[in-house]
Amino acid sequence: MLRNSPEDTWHDHEPIVHVEKLVKRYRHSGTAAVDGLSFDVRSGEFFAFLGPNGAGKTTTISILTTTLAKSSGTVSIGGYDLDRQAKDVRQSIGIIFQNPSLDLNLTAEENIRFHVSLYGIYDYRPTYRMMPRAYREKVLELAEVIGIAQDIFKPVKRFSGGMKRKLEIIRSLMHKPKVLFLDEPTLGLDAISRRSLWYYLQKIHREEKMTIFLTTHYIEEAEEADRICIVNHGRMLFSGSPGEMKNLMVSKYLVIDAEDRDSLSSELTGFGAEPMEDGSLKVRFSESTPQNILSQIKTPLSFMRLHEPTLEEAYIDLVSNGQDKEEAS
Amino acid sequence: MLIQRELNAVVTVCARDLLRYIRDWKNTLGFSFFFPIAFLGILGGTIGQNMGAGLGYDYMQFALLGMIANLLVQFTMMGVTSLIEERESGFTQEIFVSPVSRYSILFGKILGGSLGSLVSLIALFIVAFAMGIPLSLAGVGSILLVTPVLFLLGGALGILLSGTFGSSPKAVDRATIMVMFPQMFLSGALIPVKNSTGLLSVFVHLMPATYLVDLLRGVFYRGTPVYGQVVLYNPMVDLIISVALAMAFLVLGSYLFVRSERNR
Repeated sequence: MLRNSPEDTWHDHEPIVHVEKLVKRYRHSGTAAVDGLSFDVRSGEFFAFLGPNGAGKTTTISILTTTLAKSSGTVSIGGYDLDRQAKDVRQSIGIIFQNPSLDLNLTAEENIRFHVSLYGIYDYRPTYRMMPRAYREKVLELAEVIGIAQDIFKPVKRFSGGMKRKLEIIRSLMHKPKVLFLDEPTLGLDAISRRSLWYYLQKIHREEKMTIFLTTHYIEEAEEADRICIVNHGRMLFSGSPGEMKNLMVSKYLVIDAEDRDSLSSELTGFGAEPMEDGSLKVRFSESTPQNILSQIKTPLSFMRLHEPTLEEAYIDLVSNGQDKEEAS
Repeated sequence: MLIQRELNAVVTVCARDLLRYIRDWKNTLGFSFFFPIAFLGILGGTIGQNMGAGLGYDYMQFALLGMIANLLVQFTMMGVTSLIEERESGFTQEIFVSPVSRYSILFGKILGGSLGSLVSLIALFIVAFAMGIPLSLAGVGSILLVTPVLFLLGGALGILLSGTFGSSPKAVDRATIMVMFPQMFLSGALIPVKNSTGLLSVFVHLMPATYLVDLLRGVFYRGTPVYGQVVLYNPMVDLIISVALAMAFLVLGSYLFVRSERNR
């Protein structure tokens, strides 16, 4: 249901982001960067949008955040139609771009003040002290939570990459967006800054119950997502939970070895055991545990390892299979 | 409520530009004094000393008014085109995802660029004072009276350049220079154009700054004996042409800019 006026209410059970048959063809480009994408994001969901370079992630997020015009398709966010109610869409979202979008000549607080004034939350005042008490308290509270309270009045040009990202998070939370878009937010950050940023993002997601729409190259960042959508060449390859993705795409297996390899091998004939390079045996299984296989083994084992598929393996599997199919066709 | 929000956005965009000028005061001051010294002090001074004697009016005062019109237009124009430079740093994205009209953003940039260019007006007055160019309080008043029109056309030109060449900051920089220098030499700012004929006369009348320079001189010299020697048209004609050009540039430039932002 689309909202026609602010009085119309948007209901939590409706998808907060609705994308249908979205297409984007750049000028002077023969192929579509986004080619008929359709998906929904539910309210409060942590939605990860994955794909290799050139998959159409940034194009999609740019369209959803109204900075790029689509070629065709329909999009609604928070019940507002992207074409007819772009301003309402912009009021409903927060975004952290791939590259920091801060004014380096201003202090951290001035960047925030500029943001809240543009979003019409507070009228612009030339100094922090002249801003309303509610603003001052909110800035300090968020700066404390995110961990840059000491630096909030310092020029942004002195900030590290991680601090800039944290400042962008504070800024994007000031107008209480319904959906927070994060376009590869940890790109270029060191491991410590990445971990710290993720800690705060997950905290915000939990405590504020905010819908998070994330694009990332780092697959491990999507492990905590409620739902994953994988795209390549502008088309959807997969949509489901991280668990579903692992189960669908990669089988689990057991690596075992014994002094008496011949005896072990003969016991596992019915399970399709494959010899590995070092002579140990790899036995695939689809049940939740390898109990069935282990119960058949009488030969004393010298080695045993259970291989749980990672999301990264599933992702690589999925993207490579998709590419192979496209090349074949 | 909606109007108040848009007005607040205009004030915010303008205030940010002013804050940036203040923070970057060394560059702001350096830039504001460089052009008056280079063009009025050195170029104007040389022309005045060697060729200004037989004109029948004070050449340096004539050149000062020409430089005021040209520099205020150019600085306002450059204040607006800074929006394109900021696209490279990603900051434009922050502005353009905010729920305010694109037109409010552009108007805020014009206002910010205009107020920022007032520094160069003060610099011009200081250079004029240092060079002993006669300038009465009434003369300063008449200059200030015309400045809103200079800002308007300068800002509109900036928006037109941003909309037309907004694909890259380099393209905008090149276009700014291509617009700036012909205006400087063909608008009659430093070199009188009253007697220009043929193709040069056509170029003179194609320069938007010609009408601004003439408007400023028309108001400044009104009622003085040299009025007929230095002024091309009635100030009202200059005003109508300047405002009409500004409106045309604003409408076309805003349309092209907003379209280029989203339609890639």
